[in-house]
Amino acid sequence: MVNSSQLRDAFIEAQLAGDRVRGLELMADGLASGMSVKDLHLEVIQQAQQEIGRMWVANEITVAREHAASAIAQLALAQLYPHLPRAESNGWRVVLACVEGEQHELAARIGNDFLEMAGFDVIYLGADTPADAVVEALAENHAHILALSITMSYHWPALERTIRTAQNAAPDVMLVVGGRAVEDKSDALTEMGVVCSAARADVMVERVSAEVAKRGRL
Amino acid sequence: MSDAHTVQTLRREFVLRCDPEGTIEHADAVAERYGLTPQARLSDRVAVDSHTKLKDFLARAQEKTADRWEITLLVEDAPMPVSVSGAAGDGGIWVVGNVLPQEFEVVMGQVRQSMAELADMHRTAERQQRELLRRNEELSRLNRELDDSARGMIVLHHEVEEKSDSLRRMSEVKSRLVSNVSHEFRTPLNSILGLTRMLLSRVDGELNEEQEKQLQYIRRSAESLTELVNDVLDLSKLEAGKVALRTGTFPVKELFSALRGMFKPLVPDPGVELVFEDPPEGFPDLDTDENKVSQVLKNLISNALKFTERGQVVVRADLPEPDKARFRVSDTGIGIAPEDQARIFEEFSQVESPIQRRVKGTGLGLSLSKRLATILGGELTVESEIGRGSTFSLVLPRQHPEVREMERLDQEAAELDPSRSQVLVVEDDRQTLFLYERYLRGSGFQVIPARSLEGARRKLEKIKPAAVVLDIMLDGESSWGFLRELKSRPETRDVPVLVVTVTNREHKARALGADEFCVKPMDREWLIRRLENIGRYRGAVERVLVIDDDEVSRYLVRKMLADTQYQVIEAEDVHDGVRMAQLERPHVIFLDFVLPTGTAFDVLDALKIDPRTRGIPVIIQTSKSLSDEEVAALSKDSTSVISKQSLSREVAIARIREALLQAGLGPATLATTASAEGV
Repeated sequence: MVNSSQLRDAFIEAQLAGDRVRGLELMADGLASGMSVKDLHLEVIQQAQQEIGRMWVANEITVAREHAASAIAQLALAQLYPHLPRAESNGWRVVLACVEGEQHELAARIGNDFLEMAGFDVIYLGADTPADAVVEALAENHAHILALSITMSYHWPALERTIRTAQNAAPDVMLVVGGRAVEDKSDALTEMGVVCSAARADVMVERVSAEVAKRGRL
Repeated sequence: MSDAHTVQTLRREFVLRCDPEGTIEHADAVAERYGLTPQARLSDRVAVDSHTKLKDFLARAQEKTADRWEITLLVEDAPMPVSVSGAAGDGGIWVVGNVLPQEFEVVMGQVRQSMAELADMHRTAERQQRELLRRNEELSRLNRELDDSARGMIVLHHEVEEKSDSLRRMSEVKSRLVSNVSHEFRTPLNSILGLTRMLLSRVDGELNEEQEKQLQYIRRSAESLTELVNDVLDLSKLEAGKVALRTGTFPVKELFSALRGMFKPLVPDPGVELVFEDPPEGFPDLDTDENKVSQVLKNLISNALKFTERGQVVVRADLPEPDKARFRVSDTGIGIAPEDQARIFEEFSQVESPIQRRVKGTGLGLSLSKRLATILGGELTVESEIGRGSTFSLVLPRQHPEVREMERLDQEAAELDPSRSQVLVVEDDRQTLFLYERYLRGSGFQVIPARSLEGARRKLEKIKPAAVVLDIMLDGESSWGFLRELKSRPETRDVPVLVVTVTNREHKARALGADEFCVKPMDREWLIRRLENIGRYRGAVERVLVIDDDEVSRYLVRKMLADTQYQVIEAEDVHDGVRMAQLERPHVIFLDFVLPTGTAFDVLDALKIDPRTRGIPVIIQTSKSLSDEEVAALSKDSTSVISKQSLSREVAIARIREALLQAGLGPATLATTASAEGV
């Protein structure tokens, strides 16, 4: 079995080189060597993305490089998507969106895939979704859960705005929030009426699943 | 606005100086435009995510130089990425910033958007594919379920078939049982009737008044019991579909006058009048089975008489539709309650009433009549009101549907089809004729129907058929004689003949050489007449051999012939009978069908073998219905024998071919018929 850290390093290398073919090959290698899709998500793609972020902060790479790297990460997620091990549908419908202004959608993508694996039915709205669009999608899809993704903390005001709008328009919808900006913010979020939150996609989905299990299958 | 100011607004580059902690000491106009004013802390103007980076940048700049660091400024709460370079100087850090080209950012955003959309499309496609797979699986599962249920259906179907088979068998067993039991009743009943008649005829001496009365009672009881047995037998025959239709043209007026004559002595009560209203002038004749119509009317009239104590029973006929005739029997009797009106047509059902208890009846009459009506293609209905009387109506087609069909067949046969070989089918049963016609339609053979031997003879004068299909069952005519006739005449000798028969005791017996056949009880006069007839053809009859295990039957024959010139010899079983026949050489033999050690066939066979007994006429007696026997006996005298039960188009054609081949008809003819038929 391929070592996940080796795979991650190789993947970062491919991302920085802008070599998408290599990136996809690495994913295929990981799958072929028996790595689980979840591990590829969390141990390789997500961590690589964090490393890319760190490199930007350390001014080792430019934002252009970062964009190219996330494009390759998106591609890798798309490649893994058909292989997701899916639980039986639990009947719960989730509208998933990045808050207004948030351009980092990789975390949301990973959240989407983890929700699907756990048996949720996900309506994915993508990056930078205005609060009104979120509310519209909730109604249109008769969603039971609204999941918001926030990576950069300076989008916090947008998060608060979206939560308020959603609570007014659809008070029965369960609110969950995930993303890097959520770290250490769970108390504040609970106060805002958010039922679960976590920075990591797997933890967040675990919590939502537990909550859903508590409330019973629809 | 000065040129310098214009240049300022176009510039996207700013310069500022800060202390090592990031507090701005000096800023140019562009920096101030982005909120980077003196005294402000840089960390307050930079997005949270860039705090660490800012710190590192300042540390690096103080040490030597920091070149092109990307940091996110917050300008009026909106993030704005800038590229900054810094170096120590003038006791602080000089920072030169560059707003990243807006366009670059926008295009980058668009590319990211496209990327996300592509990813979305990919996912949607993937989801759809998964949905398709799921549906496909669902369909396969459904398919499997359907397969399973289809298999289940087949199994069920089999079960139903088996059940219905066993029901059919049971019903067959039932009707056979009924008819057997009825026949078993008949033997003793015949004995009782025969003996009472004999006693009443005073052959054995005078009777006193009391004895005569008693004997009359016995006879009446035996007669009503016989009536019941006959009804039961009729019904079981109808159920088994063994009733042949005998149609003919007859005027209603004549039917009425026959019935009138029949009922004249039977109207019991002087208070009741039986009226037959003759149909109006010009009332068309009916073309259907007169006997069956008469049987239904007899039933209805005798019922009406039974349940009418005072008043009239009126019988009339009319035409409710041009093609239909209606007979109505109305009485002024007790009537039938509406709730009972459907029930009265059921077997053994009788409505409880004081009159009902008084009058005798089998409870089968109406059920029988209803079935007869169906056979006639008609319907039997009742209208009634308690206390006022009932009207039973029999509505039937003026011409029986089979007659119409037959006419069509006759018309078709009137024109010979030169492209087909003619087959003369001599068959009295129309249904069977239709069957032949259907079987041979389009086969290269044309059916020329003949419903009697007379008709067959007439047809033979006009045409020479390729083959003759002969039903040995023809009522009242000797098909065997006709067969002999065909075989002896030079012009028909080479025409192959197929003998078709159903297994039936009477006809088998005839086929085996029996000259007469009767059903017990025998009538004395009939008996004498038969014997005279036989005598007329064969010379004087003196010795009569009776082979019968039933003592009473033997006794009855003996008594009947007591005062005649005939001498009666008796035997009880097959062996005895044959021995007596050889020994005594009787002039005629009365043979019971079923004997303790065998059947009449055994006797007939034995008689035929011996030249001394071969010529003795045999009269078969029976009171029991017959079981299937070998057909081989028949085949001796005929080209081929097939049973109607196994008659099919294939068999019929194959047999006709065989017969044609045997008759030496060239295969050329066969080839054309075969190709015409497409075999």
